[in-house]
Amino acid sequence: MSDSRPDPLRALLAPVRTAVTQGSLLSLASALVWPVQAAVIAAALAALVEADGVGHGPIAGWVAPWPAALSVLALGVLRAILSQAAEARLFDAGDRVVAERRAAIVTREARVARAGAAGPGAIAALAGEKLDTLLPYVLRYHPAMARSAVVPLLILGLAFWHSWAVGVVLLMAGPLIPVFMALVGWAAQDASARHLAGLGSMNDLLVDRLAALVDIRLLDAGARVTADYAASAETLRARTMRVLSIAFLSSTVLELFAALGVAMVAVWVGFSLLGVIAWGGQVDVRSGLFLLLLAPDYFQPLRDLSAAWHDRAAAQAMARELAAWEAEDSPLILGSGRVTARLAGAPEIRLRGVTLGAIPIPDAVIPPGAMVGVTGPSGAGKSTLLRALAGLDRPTAGTITVCGQTLDDATADPWRATLGWMPQSPRFPPEPLHRIIAADAPLDRDLLAMAALTPVLARLPAGLDTVPGETGAGLSGGEARRVMLARLLHRRPTVVLADEPTADLDAETARQVTAALLELAARGATLILATHDPALLAHVHQRLTPGQPA
Amino acid sequence: MSALATILRLIWRDQRAALTRGAVLAVTVLVMGAALLGLSGWFITAAATAGLAGAGAVFDVFRPSAAVRFLALGRTAARYGERLATHDATLRALTSLRVRLLAAQTRAPFAALARLRASEALNRLGADVDALDAVTLRLALPVGAALAALILAAGGLVWLTDPRIALAVCGVMALGGGAALWLGVRAARTPARQAEDQAQAFRRGVVDLVSARADLAALGQLTTQVAQVTAADDRRRVLNRHLDRLGRRVGLALSLTGAAAMALALGIGGTLAHAGILDPARAAIGLFVALALAEAITPLRRTASEFGRMASAARRVAARLNTPTGPAQPLPADRTLALTGVTHGHHPLSEPVLRGIDLRLPAGTRLGLQGPSGSGKTTLLALMAGQDRPGTGRVTLGGRDLTDLDEGALRRVLTLVPQRSALIQGTVADNLRLAAPHAGEAELRAVLDAVHLSAPLAARGGLSTPLHARGAGLSGGESRRLALARALLRQPDILLLDEPTEGLDAATARAVMQAILDRLPTATIIVASHRPEDLSRMALILDLGRPEVRSSNL
Repeated sequence: MSDSRPDPLRALLAPVRTAVTQGSLLSLASALVWPVQAAVIAAALAALVEADGVGHGPIAGWVAPWPAALSVLALGVLRAILSQAAEARLFDAGDRVVAERRAAIVTREARVARAGAAGPGAIAALAGEKLDTLLPYVLRYHPAMARSAVVPLLILGLAFWHSWAVGVVLLMAGPLIPVFMALVGWAAQDASARHLAGLGSMNDLLVDRLAALVDIRLLDAGARVTADYAASAETLRARTMRVLSIAFLSSTVLELFAALGVAMVAVWVGFSLLGVIAWGGQVDVRSGLFLLLLAPDYFQPLRDLSAAWHDRAAAQAMARELAAWEAEDSPLILGSGRVTARLAGAPEIRLRGVTLGAIPIPDAVIPPGAMVGVTGPSGAGKSTLLRALAGLDRPTAGTITVCGQTLDDATADPWRATLGWMPQSPRFPPEPLHRIIAADAPLDRDLLAMAALTPVLARLPAGLDTVPGETGAGLSGGEARRVMLARLLHRRPTVVLADEPTADLDAETARQVTAALLELAARGATLILATHDPALLAHVHQRLTPGQPA
Repeated sequence: MSALATILRLIWRDQRAALTRGAVLAVTVLVMGAALLGLSGWFITAAATAGLAGAGAVFDVFRPSAAVRFLALGRTAARYGERLATHDATLRALTSLRVRLLAAQTRAPFAALARLRASEALNRLGADVDALDAVTLRLALPVGAALAALILAAGGLVWLTDPRIALAVCGVMALGGGAALWLGVRAARTPARQAEDQAQAFRRGVVDLVSARADLAALGQLTTQVAQVTAADDRRRVLNRHLDRLGRRVGLALSLTGAAAMALALGIGGTLAHAGILDPARAAIGLFVALALAEAITPLRRTASEFGRMASAARRVAARLNTPTGPAQPLPADRTLALTGVTHGHHPLSEPVLRGIDLRLPAGTRLGLQGPSGSGKTTLLALMAGQDRPGTGRVTLGGRDLTDLDEGALRRVLTLVPQRSALIQGTVADNLRLAAPHAGEAELRAVLDAVHLSAPLAARGGLSTPLHARGAGLSGGESRRLALARALLRQPDILLLDEPTEGLDAATARAVMQAILDRLPTATIIVASHRPEDLSRMALILDLGRPEVRSSNL
């Protein structure tokens, strides 16, 4: 799993490097308080033992029980405060990076023109829980690195100073840890990457199946879909468990080294104090206890670091996925999709040499007020052409000119401000009808009537406050279409792009929708309609057939 | 609180053995840790005392040093076993919880299904269930193990040292730990719940935004939506900062509790030893045990900070676990579909769309439903498919009320193709196999041929043509035909079609309808449509738009 590319995780943290360093140093400072605390405890216990030896003689100064206890407490307070300060600094740094990237993902994904490999569930997972893996990494890995670089060496020095035998024990047990750690680190990284990928695809599967639940139920496929989900949830569980068991196993091995090291130090110190062993350096009660108290903390930073290897592995897998996402060259819509003033000038549309994917579009001039039928068999590219005309997709070649200006990032938003847009399949945000139709603007009753929506509203118990389902549940197909029409009319468009506006409507409703569109045309709007409907096509002045020369 | 208990009970019932093992091991780890440090401290101090007294030669070194090694290795092994057992058990229990939730979701009433927002349900099954791992791993096990370890340690300290040391060490730990947890939970509960709400709002927002981005851009609402989504994240960030601060405070309180217990053990132990009531080696035990017990209370910090999140997740999940089990009347052999005096509105309070409908449709009837949009065609089909119970009157199959029949059995004989049928991500074959899991390739090809879909798909991979999320990648007419092919695979006795040939040109529409009738020669077929292509083959037509033709005794 070695990788020669620049480390994406390092790049991710570059803007907050100073804060991370400061936090790590504070954490190191907090770890350095313990040897002092240990020295006080050792001295106090040694004083007791010695006083005991001479018939409970007086213990003077700070090694007396209560002064020593107070010092231990005061040092404990200092240690805790330093470590809290370190955490605060590191949390800040991580939080800043996460928030920044999250906003970047949302902003770009909103503008992606054609759905890529990642579905809505996977994108939500990347921007949400996956990005969050950065925080434990920053909070744990970096300070553990700083502590590992200093604390073990310091304790090793203190050990050799008091007793070379203790020093040798620690020296032998210590270096095995990083070696082992690196080995597990690789395995962990691999497992983490697979785990993260599994999470995204499971979310996508779920979003997709949930959207089709009514059909699934009608086809009596509920049990099958549940079983599919159970299988993919089980795979994810197994992957999660694999990541965890690598983490548990590695920390167990490290703990084993640490436990054996500490036990050996304890036994050697005990034997040496009893006088059973007379080699390895002179220890007395105070230094013996001091060494015993320090021994676990020789291993602790390395164990922390090893625990944080898994945070690092998760963060690294996330950073790679993020880098891959950033490198993905998804085509974006033109402009940003914001509200602006309308594009000035007569809304003439010119198509010159336009190709959409592999579909050539005939050259055309659509004068203001024209009524154009976009025709052709199913799948020929009618919807794609409408999207391109709205700046929602980029032509692979050629130019679209609107109001005398090239349709590009600068003109797309003002151009769309003039448009009425009617997609083939309605999608509703979780908002009441009056907001769907008019956003924040006041509702125009005449326009509701023009869209033949008045009788529909009368039928709905909550009227304009009805919140339809995501794809229009609560409304019939024709009613949903009329809501879309009312929304379109409320934008008072000068150009209308409608995709199959009369599809799945009964004759009466189709007639009403056609009448409303013709009324718009009579008021001077350009109509561009992708349709098979002969009744509608009877009115058009001009036809555009994607894939055919003009 | 009762929701948390419900979830805990469910997890416990699912993984009783592994969780018991995990809990015992968790206590073992803490007790062995305390014993290890206590024994080491005693050993060194006693050895030093003996050495100073010149009694080193008679001091038993072997048993204590063997015990030190045993405890060190035993604790390590116990910890490994505990982690593996508790995590594995919890993850397994959560996986079955997730599946149960989805199964309950698929059995929800049709009206609720249609209104379900995928992003919302994703939050339930994903984030909410994820948050529940804390119920065992952060709440029940650590709190239980800490309590048990403190009680056992108190007993041990009374036995080996002095009741005053035991009281000081374990009392301070229990009080300090308990207070930090209590106050932490109280302070963090509301912001943690709110932070989780915002995280879910963010996730919902992203899913909705990505699903509807083209429409939003066309309406100039894209930037506003993006701003709303990021605003949810900003709110969550503010809350998270607050929670992190609270968490650090709880951490500080717990560190201070540990330091205070250690200081008290040293002070009291030292005083007692100095007074000759206790020998110094035994006094050292209290200090070292206090040092080790810090390990028992440190995890409480996460308990406090995650409590709000797990409690609200538990409430939401527990509320959705129970769906009433449906009625399970067996299916009668008679396939006569009958409506008697059916009057039905979309809402009990609203004007009925259907009024006094009486229909008797023996097996093999071909009925066309026509009428303007809103005249009740779709509603009537929904009632005939048993999706809803009529406001008044009865809808029966072979004399039994549709909604009382076992749903699986009903779906095996009755298929409805709704107006907007949803396709799933995967291949064309995956979509077809939703209807007939065991169908062979030849069978799948045959239905594609029947709906005239083989030719348009041939260039794109035929049965293995990939479909994106929600079936994107097919045109409207192609999706429609795939939904019809899916219904044909069910070989239903009763087939209900709502606007079946939408998006197809007249010639294809006629051919597809003919193929459907040919493939199901004996089935009852009811078609709601406004297209003459669909209705021309129907023996009977019911016009819902003409008030005088409200009832028909066919």
